[in-house]
Amino acid sequence: MTNTRVSTAATAASPAAGDARLAGRSLLRLGPVSLLIRRRAVLVAVVLTVLLLLAVVLSLSLGTPYVAPADVLRALSGAGTPYDLVVFDLRLPRVVLAAVAGAAFGVAGTLIQSVARNPLASPDVIGITQGAGLAATIALTSGMAAVLVAPTALVGGLLAAVLLFALGARHGLAAQRFVLAGVAVAFAFRALTEVVMLTADPIDGLRAQIWLIGTLAGKGWTEAAWIAGTLLVLLPVLAWAGWALNSTALDDDTARGVGLRPVARRIGLAGTGVLVAAMVTAQVGAVDFVALVAPQVARRLVRAERPPLVCAALLGALLLVLADLAGRRLFAPTQLPAGVLTAAIGGPYLIFLLLRGRRRSS
Amino acid sequence: MLSTRDLVAGYDERTVLDGLDLDLPTDAFTVIVGPNACGKSTLLRTMARLLTPRRGAVLLDGTAIRDLPTREVARRLGVLPQSPLVPEGVTVADLVGRGRQPYQRWWRQWSSEDGAAVDEAMALADVTDLADRPVDSLSGGQRQRVWIAMTLAQDTDALLLDEPTTFLDLAHQVEVLDLLHRLRVERGRTVVAVLHDLNQAARYADHLVAMRDGAVVAAGPPREILTADLVRDVFGLACVVVPCPVTGAPLVVPAYTGGTTSPARPSTDAPAAAGASHGAGNPVVGPRSGSPAVADDLNSSKASAPDA
Repeated sequence: MTNTRVSTAATAASPAAGDARLAGRSLLRLGPVSLLIRRRAVLVAVVLTVLLLLAVVLSLSLGTPYVAPADVLRALSGAGTPYDLVVFDLRLPRVVLAAVAGAAFGVAGTLIQSVARNPLASPDVIGITQGAGLAATIALTSGMAAVLVAPTALVGGLLAAVLLFALGARHGLAAQRFVLAGVAVAFAFRALTEVVMLTADPIDGLRAQIWLIGTLAGKGWTEAAWIAGTLLVLLPVLAWAGWALNSTALDDDTARGVGLRPVARRIGLAGTGVLVAAMVTAQVGAVDFVALVAPQVARRLVRAERPPLVCAALLGALLLVLADLAGRRLFAPTQLPAGVLTAAIGGPYLIFLLLRGRRRSS
Repeated sequence: MLSTRDLVAGYDERTVLDGLDLDLPTDAFTVIVGPNACGKSTLLRTMARLLTPRRGAVLLDGTAIRDLPTREVARRLGVLPQSPLVPEGVTVADLVGRGRQPYQRWWRQWSSEDGAAVDEAMALADVTDLADRPVDSLSGGQRQRVWIAMTLAQDTDALLLDEPTTFLDLAHQVEVLDLLHRLRVERGRTVVAVLHDLNQAARYADHLVAMRDGAVVAAGPPREILTADLVRDVFGLACVVVPCPVTGAPLVVPAYTGGTTSPARPSTDAPAAAGASHGAGNPVVGPRSGSPAVADDLNSSKASAPDA
């Protein structure tokens, strides 16, 4: 019965460009694989990639000593220039870390916001940052070896995630419950962090403070490898998530009606989000304003009803590379932590978009 | 095809259905009616596997629904919940396309069958012209047709709808019910709906299920089972049942009570009584039982029959 009903119109169903059914998306066919790609998202992704590459070259070029962009490109092509040391050893690790960490924040923010059904949700709001922060503070104030700070922070972030899931699970991780549990976890961990901070040696306390703000100074390949490795391992999950995000806008009953398992889906999406968030926060600290802004800005650029995963990642990378560059150069030789700059750049832009969006809709 | 066996279901502490056995006919339009809180929505939600029964089972073609993968159920059973949340900024075509979810995977996001089914569903529900419009910009009646189109795109043999006409004006209610009727007659779908309006239920249903206190009081073709006695038993309302002047289906006309509580109401259901019979607003003539009031009510029904 099912087959006969469908086959009558199947001949006329090759999805042409502009097909209303696909709602601004095109079908990408690769053998048995068929993916729906939003056309505007492709355009935005291309533009963001170009901008990101420009920002990377700019970051490698600016500083003391100044390296002309042409020389940067020549060094990158492996031609062997006198600037190899500056470009490869001093600047590239940090720029790559900024890009990778920014992308990870963009991904984490997109996943967390979709489960929370709230554009203001971020790793910071649901307590992952505070969990990592508490663990890092304990590590930094107890004289732990420097290499152990990041792993300890990761454990703290994951601990916060477990607590968050335990508190939110009873109601199937429903949006409100999820945010509420997260806010509770965040407050608890922040309070504990302050207790540790107040009882610690002031110098150690200051180091912890800088860690909490988030900075890329003195970090590089190791941190970038951890974050990139996490994203790489999660790649199949992220491919699924990009598709699953489409249905998070449906209420649970409707979702069940079309054969989805909304609770399992939320656990999968939120679990992936907090895992990425915990890892990236553990490596670079609380630069998570990127996680708040990137998904929403990307959503508006793409004009989609929900944040697009790939564009949010690219935008996060671009934001953090620019923020780190600005932090290095704006008040040189004084260096500002990237965490300060992400807020300074992202905040006004988000406000600008909110105001513009409201004017258009009214 | 759809049946329940010893079904026990409810919310938290409250048991709403307690051991319900019911068989719904295939290729028929079944309407479930009953007073508020009688368990009709709970029954529909449990049959649609939106609510997990505490005991017993819902059977789909003889197999317990809980033993089937939810994707497979979604290919055989479409569900329209009572008031679905409209996703912001999603277009009509996009939302109708979500009905294809049970046929899709993340690596197989769209096929020509999906396109054909969406086209056909939009045409059936008469929303093709709205395809590019955001759903949140539509009127209530249009939205409801879009939601129905989404469940039609699922290409299922059976369709369950929980109060699909609530919040719609009369013309849009009729439009939605006509659509469901067409699905049954022209497409041979099994349609099961919970409705509030008894007269609409009598007009459209092939099979009527009347419920009270979580149990089925009567089930069968409306012309056979819908009597004044049944309405009194189920709703606690004194009424007259006359043939509808348009369709000949039973037409339920509340008895004239002069604005006071009907005496014919069963004692268990007292609080709902006042609400059911306040329409008269005439000078008090005194409570009457159903049958002597035939003449009065026939006259007044001409002005207010919902079918006219």
